[in-house]
Amino acid sequence: MKLRLFCIFLALTVSVIYPPRVQAQDPSFVASVDKNPVGVGEQFTLSLTLNNAGMSGGKNLQLPDLGKFHVMSGPNQSSSMQIINGAVSSSITYSYILQPKEIGKFTIGAATIEVGGKKHSTSPFVLEVVKGSPRPSQQTGTQADPRAEIGDNLFLKASVDKNHVMQGEQINLAFKLYTRVSVSNYTVNKNPALTGFWGEDIENPKNISLTNETIGGKQYRVGVIRRMALFPTQSGTLEISPMEVQTTVQVQSRRSLDPFESFFRDPFGQTMNHIVKSEPIKIKVDPLPSGAPAGFKGAVGRFTMNATVDKHTTKTNEPITFKVTITGTGNIKLLESPIVELPTDFEQYTPKVSDNISRQGGRISGTKSFEYLLIPRFPGEKLIKSVAFSYFDLGKREYQTLRSPQIRLTVEQGAATAVPIVAGAQRGDVKLLSQDIRFIKVTNPSLSRKGEYFYARGEVAAMLLLPLAGVAGAFVYARRRQTAMMDAAGYRNRKAIKVAQKGLRQAEQALKAAGKNGMQVSEQKLQFYTEVSKALWKYLSDKLDIPPAGLSIEGALFAVSQRSTNGDISAALKSLLEICEMARFAPTSLELSSMQKTYDDAKRLIVELERILKSA
Amino acid sequence: MKSALTLLAVLVVGTMVVTGQTPEQLFIQANQLYQQERFGEARDAFESIVSAGYESGALYYNLGNTYYRSGNIAAAILNYERARKFIPNDDDLLHNLQLANLMIADRIEPAPRLFLWDYWKNVKDAFSLSGLTWLTYFVYVGAIGCICAVAIARTYRTRKVGAFGAIGSGMLFLILLVLLVAKVSDFARDDLAIVIVGVTTIKNSPDKQSTDAFVLHTGVKVQITDRVNEWVKIRLADGKVGWMEKTAGEVI
Repeated sequence: MKLRLFCIFLALTVSVIYPPRVQAQDPSFVASVDKNPVGVGEQFTLSLTLNNAGMSGGKNLQLPDLGKFHVMSGPNQSSSMQIINGAVSSSITYSYILQPKEIGKFTIGAATIEVGGKKHSTSPFVLEVVKGSPRPSQQTGTQADPRAEIGDNLFLKASVDKNHVMQGEQINLAFKLYTRVSVSNYTVNKNPALTGFWGEDIENPKNISLTNETIGGKQYRVGVIRRMALFPTQSGTLEISPMEVQTTVQVQSRRSLDPFESFFRDPFGQTMNHIVKSEPIKIKVDPLPSGAPAGFKGAVGRFTMNATVDKHTTKTNEPITFKVTITGTGNIKLLESPIVELPTDFEQYTPKVSDNISRQGGRISGTKSFEYLLIPRFPGEKLIKSVAFSYFDLGKREYQTLRSPQIRLTVEQGAATAVPIVAGAQRGDVKLLSQDIRFIKVTNPSLSRKGEYFYARGEVAAMLLLPLAGVAGAFVYARRRQTAMMDAAGYRNRKAIKVAQKGLRQAEQALKAAGKNGMQVSEQKLQFYTEVSKALWKYLSDKLDIPPAGLSIEGALFAVSQRSTNGDISAALKSLLEICEMARFAPTSLELSSMQKTYDDAKRLIVELERILKSA
Repeated sequence: MKSALTLLAVLVVGTMVVTGQTPEQLFIQANQLYQQERFGEARDAFESIVSAGYESGALYYNLGNTYYRSGNIAAAILNYERARKFIPNDDDLLHNLQLANLMIADRIEPAPRLFLWDYWKNVKDAFSLSGLTWLTYFVYVGAIGCICAVAIARTYRTRKVGAFGAIGSGMLFLILLVLLVAKVSDFARDDLAIVIVGVTTIKNSPDKQSTDAFVLHTGVKVQITDRVNEWVKIRLADGKVGWMEKTAGEVI
């Protein structure tokens, strides 16, 4: 009662300062009891509460049939006005204290009241009267555990508008806080995990407005904590996990006999933290039917499409904006950009995507637009092919494909000075662009006839062949020189016998002369042996190709024995050469007959040697 | 009056072209026109030298410059690329070609190659064709001289020196000869072309009705790998392949 009086005081104070701004909420008329069931003979309070009827209240209150109860007192009228976070709510309560007469279930019928000419009635509810003594001790003595009391009177409820949907279909989810106690504050501890959904907040108020709702005959103050639109992104059974909210509840302080204690206490009473949790919700999601068109990317709902360009005629290097707008109801935020086939010689950038979502009436709708910036680089007639967008229509339960009309563009030649600097040019390249080309060549151009190759000319062939001729000449010269050197030995070889025979003829003349003239015999003899010796040595030198200076008897014999196996010839040659040597140093000891024999031997030996050395 | 003067000028230039002027004189005149910033006339004069059957690196380079100044980037690139056959390592040419390539719409990243390929290309580009030909010729003569020295040497010492010289210069000659052959075949190749039309759609097969492979714009260098009637099969530096109408490009 203390609190209520305070509230009235506060309401009056506020209404003086601010004129009452009663929100345009419909009046409601609710009946409730403070306990259900009640024991026989136990007193209870029936409250008929008129909400939002303004301070003037209602007229013609008509009570239901209360024949089974004793009316102990009433009606007691009390009014209150609450301003919670700027929302004004007023209520007038007519309360009756009743006492049941007998055990049983009784329906308390509708009570009616007139507000502004309109009749409002309460909904009937069942009151159970059980056998049992009243528990006055609890009422009058120490209070029950406040926590247990809160548990019954404060809970969080999650609700959905449907729990069997198609993939991509919208579900409305609401979290409501029901309370019969005074909640001064709350914080969300844990938001629900929306695995498998894409969620969009419809309402996530900082200030909650309260309404009244009666469940099982008990009246609750109800506040929506959060309202969301969910779009399942996968099929199967999905679960919305609980939300957890921590509330701060005001509880009435225990009565104290000490007046000072109550004086110092918080006039609002004690506060207490209490955590409430919603129940998890299971949602069954059906997959979309098969046969989706090729361009389908998961859009579900109902959409329209519009494709426009900002101008149909442009110049090269002047950009055009091509805009595709999709409008409708459904999972609009999840829409992907449709495939746009652009002329290949347009420079294009990634589209600018913007969306505008409306939450009107709890349905997610709005527009999503894709803006393509196109820069034509070359003149001509260009064609933007039609854009296709596919979605699943929930109303018709089938796939729909929207096509935009083709768009023709005319690109004219723009200013020629515009240099297309293509993205990806190196920094060095950009630096280079600021430079100019270098000057022409003014030196002798050294022109040549086209198709006439330097290496196909006659002079070139001559220049190539001339050194080869030089090589040939060098080889011929070398060859001839070698041949000449080779011939000297061969000549001597071949002429050896003739030279020897010529020498022997001179020796024969000397021999004849020695036979005729008796005088100067020794001189003739010496000449004879000299001639024979010379002829022999000359012959051996020529034939064996050994210079005369390097020739000795042993050397000559060795060379001969190498060429011939005949030992007689070697022996004969040796004796002949020795005779000649001896005769040259002691000529007088030799007779004419031995001279003749020496001459014959020499002649025969040369012929023999000629035969052996040639055949060897 | 002014138009009469212009006509006179045109007639004078025209008769100069017709009358027996040496191409060298014409070249000098075209250069003068360029210096007077009469790029159109200079271009025509250079073109008349080319159409008379003459060519050189300087001629194509200057012609490329006149096209660049006239705003025809594709023709400029075409002539720069032709000049590159004669003067592959000319600094001015490479600068202008790089600049012209920045002006075209398509940016084609060449497919990565083995580094040896780059070395080989650099070595090839280090010589002009005539320079390399002369170098090869001198090494050839040197090698032959060494062989002659070996042939006619009287002493062992000269023969040894000659033999070493012959082996060394012979090997150098073979390397240069390979380089020269590669260079000549590069010079003679006719499978590189420049896209000269504004924009052309490259098809997947040589047929107008065929699906589009990609789009090329003016100035892009392509390699021709096959020819069928009015179509050529092309390959880009990044490895893309398609069929292009023959008239869309001009062979370098």
